[in-house]
Amino acid sequence: MSIERARLERTLNPGSVVVVGDKGPNFQWLSNLNEFSGPVYSVQVDEKEIASIEQKGYRNFKSITEVPGEVDLVICAVPRQVTPIVVADAIKKGAGGISMFTSGFAETGEPQAAELQRRLVAMCHEAGMPLVGPNCMGVYNRRLGVKFSAMQEKGEGGDVGIVSQSGTHGIGMTLGAQRLGIRVTRTISIGNAAVLNECDYLEYLRDDPDCPVIVMYLEGARDGRRFFNVLRETARRKPVVVWRGGRSRAGARAVRSHTGSLASDLAVWDGLIRQTGAIPAHSIDDAIDTMAALVFTSEPRGRGVALIAMTGGQSVAITDQFERAGFEVPELSARSYKRLAEFFTTIGGSYRNPFDAASTIGRETDNLRKILEILAEDSAIDGGAAIELGARGFEQDPSRLNAQLDLLDRFRERTGLPLIAMMPVGGAMGDAEEAVVKARAAVGARRFPIYPNFERGAAALGRVATYHEFRKSVGARAD
Amino acid sequence: MSDAIAAARAEGRTLLTEVESKQLLQAAGIPVTEARLATTAKQAATVAAEIGFPIVMKILSPDIAHKSDVGGVALGLANATAVRRAYSEMMAKVRAAAPGARIDGVSVQRQATPGTEVIVGATTDPQFGPVMMFGLGGVFVEVLKDVSFRIVPLEPRDARQMIREINGFPILEGVRGKPGADLAALERLILQVSRFVWERREIQELDLNPVFAYPDGAVAVDARVVLAPVAAEVEA
Repeated sequence: MSIERARLERTLNPGSVVVVGDKGPNFQWLSNLNEFSGPVYSVQVDEKEIASIEQKGYRNFKSITEVPGEVDLVICAVPRQVTPIVVADAIKKGAGGISMFTSGFAETGEPQAAELQRRLVAMCHEAGMPLVGPNCMGVYNRRLGVKFSAMQEKGEGGDVGIVSQSGTHGIGMTLGAQRLGIRVTRTISIGNAAVLNECDYLEYLRDDPDCPVIVMYLEGARDGRRFFNVLRETARRKPVVVWRGGRSRAGARAVRSHTGSLASDLAVWDGLIRQTGAIPAHSIDDAIDTMAALVFTSEPRGRGVALIAMTGGQSVAITDQFERAGFEVPELSARSYKRLAEFFTTIGGSYRNPFDAASTIGRETDNLRKILEILAEDSAIDGGAAIELGARGFEQDPSRLNAQLDLLDRFRERTGLPLIAMMPVGGAMGDAEEAVVKARAAVGARRFPIYPNFERGAAALGRVATYHEFRKSVGARAD
Repeated sequence: MSDAIAAARAEGRTLLTEVESKQLLQAAGIPVTEARLATTAKQAATVAAEIGFPIVMKILSPDIAHKSDVGGVALGLANATAVRRAYSEMMAKVRAAAPGARIDGVSVQRQATPGTEVIVGATTDPQFGPVMMFGLGGVFVEVLKDVSFRIVPLEPRDARQMIREINGFPILEGVRGKPGADLAALERLILQVSRFVWERREIQELDLNPVFAYPDGAVAVDARVVLAPVAAEVEA
């Protein structure tokens, strides 16, 4: 069954929204729309609720069909037995699409609940009605201010599109990303994916220029074959991070071969992700870390990185992590070493690459400028640079950190190479957790990927490098 | 080419014997050691003489999954006398260890020169349909789980990568003075199996275990084909 793209377009980018069946005292769905750019109407038949809804300033109607003007998105939060009426009314009204928060369908495993879901699906298919869910949080659109969590921001989009089978992870990934300064264009919580499934959403995001990076949380595929094909095609055009949750196979069947018994969901998904060129993530941190590296860095030319840590011990630790992630930490040219020797403090410091740099740049930011200029001109550095930043003193005076970020900005503009920052809690240049969180946000706001430790930064940059190598190897070009 | 499948279907079987499996694979151009059916000790000796010694003899039974566990495998049979004796002994042992199992005879084949053992397999995933597996083969494959998967149909790059991504790949490159395996031959074999299971959707599971990988070439020395139940075939 295919839903027209124009219908999906209206559903995901609505100009008007009707909330059906929202309840007090919080009226979460109406409240989530308080920054929405278009008209919001309520449909509620419960007199007790209607009074409060009207008191809050919303126009309430008894049926979707009574709502004036075009309705692009119907958010359905009614009890499950009422859902067929809502769907029928939405169809009659000619609504663009439905997002169904209501749960208690096929996911319960009850035959009657599954039957009810089939009934809704049949109605939607017949009418070509896009249905998001059921059993989902629905649609977040950053530009329009359509939200399913009050903490989701309204503002410019353009960085990422997220699809999540879980509402919780959809919110978690959105909030985690926005804390790092990533502008999540849209998030779609897909729930039971009964009418629109993961393939429809992936195709939509593939063709959405406002989502140059795609992140998906999936526990399974409704249409595995099509998903394989769409994912393979999409990953050649733009990066797709796939975080696959849930390891057990439902309804294990008798197998009579070694291959059959070894073909766990995990093993098959792992193969699928490698085969399609998607980027694997194994946790929400992985997903967000990778998102930040994809959004905020450009394509590296190679795997040779410059590593700048603040102490001797940290310079060993950072090297271990980047080598583990498949990077090389090359020696620099004789010319670079000659230039570094002119100003670098080698007592309690080192510039072999990795850099042990606190004694050189701790007070004198201009020395960081010199280091970065030398690195930018050294051809051994073709994979980018990673730097340990400190939060100390940031709250009293952010100017030092800002000056450092200006220099890092210049480096990445000049070289076109990735630059990632790591700001551990504690450590030589560290500070208390709260201060570090604020300082990290300031780094994210300047659109640098920032990580709480070397391991996560190295792993994220490694996944990005692997993705670009994949794309080169299949001769694909960026959109 | 579908004789073996038709024969199994006619008998309501979904598990093909080794002889049937290899016939099917051979017809698809997949390198296998030739296995021939014998139902008496005398016939086994005659077939053995035609094929050439040394001989491997394996029990043929749709009811026995692990042949060596019931005394159903005899290796290194050097002459006709050894083959006849092995046949009688095998029948006695298997009947004792697996009473009531249907026994169709034995498969008789030339004992292949040992090579590096790998497994090439296919199965039908409930979400993605036909998928393929590659790994280091032999009896520990299910313990070590050092295998890689791809969705069928595979492209050459998939075959190349799935060989290289297993942890044991250095063994295939050659270790401690041993020559490496013919990786191009393995890639070819994987792609042939991919084409085979893609075209023959009635095949639900397939194990080539082991495949002997040589410095020059590769050959499947054991094979097991499992058909989908008839109802599932219609769905596919």
